[in-house]
Amino acid sequence: MKYFALVIPVLFLAVFIFALVKKVKLYDSFTAGVKEALPLAFSLFPYIAAILMLSELFEKSGLSNMITSFLAPAFRFLGIPPEIAKLVLIKPFSGSGSTALLSDILSTYGADSFIGRCACVSYGSSETVFYISAVYFANVKYKKLFKPVIIALLANFLTVVFGCFICRFL
Amino acid sequence: MNAVFTLVFLASAGLCLVLNPDEFLSALLSGGQKAVTVSVSLIAVYCVWLAFFHVMKDSGLSQKLTRLFYPLSKRLFRSDDKEALYLATSNLTANFLGLPGAPTPLGIKAVEKFYAAKNRYAADMLFVLNATSLQLIPTTVIALRASYGSASPADIILPTLLSTILSTLLGALLVVLTSKRKRKKK
Repeated sequence: MKYFALVIPVLFLAVFIFALVKKVKLYDSFTAGVKEALPLAFSLFPYIAAILMLSELFEKSGLSNMITSFLAPAFRFLGIPPEIAKLVLIKPFSGSGSTALLSDILSTYGADSFIGRCACVSYGSSETVFYISAVYFANVKYKKLFKPVIIALLANFLTVVFGCFICRFL
Repeated sequence: MNAVFTLVFLASAGLCLVLNPDEFLSALLSGGQKAVTVSVSLIAVYCVWLAFFHVMKDSGLSQKLTRLFYPLSKRLFRSDDKEALYLATSNLTANFLGLPGAPTPLGIKAVEKFYAAKNRYAADMLFVLNATSLQLIPTTVIALRASYGSASPADIILPTLLSTILSTLLGALLVVLTSKRKRKKK
């Protein structure tokens, strides 16, 4: 895995040397880029705050637990171990929350167990749909999110079913 | 998003009222706290990547890459806006490489540009590709597995990769299909 650490420095070096050859004023160009960072982060802040407060409330209120136990039989029918149902439910809302859940599952059931492997594949092949939709469409007025969000959620969920299925063989 | 927010918020708040009213404010506050920490670390990440992409743009490298991917990205996003296509393809590339934080600023700008050109199909496509996970190597998962004593942490790569490819293809296909259906209705 070590050589992945090389990707980023090599990328920077290559681009900066190329820029020097093209006679770009590196310092000026670099700082001009940094200038955009604060406005961007500021424009995203309300959406990030809202989605994180919502996901915290969703979990702390016990609603996520209730939905999890309600859905468990359906999950078992689809071949998803009920132990990872909560992970599947939390993932669309919060990346840090689902990472915490994944490490809980791995420490409880073991990293190489069937449940642990299903959890890893589910975590690795899905994304924080609500969070991404909040951020990516943050600077757009009159956004229409219903269709893309539903599509992303559906694709992610079917993938979890598929992932748990192939974990039986791979 | 309004519907999801309202529904989840009201249901959670109602449940809090019945089960544990003390948790309500503390949950909201810890969410806000997280938003502050996340945003601060995002500022740092954006400093690095926006600077990098700015140098890339000034050097003319971005334009070259755009030209290279133009025939492909033009079809994928049904757009001929060179600037937006550059942002979108760089977003996808950064995703593939797993550059942490780099795809987001590109994606936001691309979606903005696509919306400005009234190309909702492209914005939806880019979002769905991002929201179905494109990362080739699940680095977080591998690190976690290693720390919990897995015999071979990396053997999760194959099933994860297969699932990721499936979800991305499925998502893209659904975007294409639903957009076609709309056109027929018109």
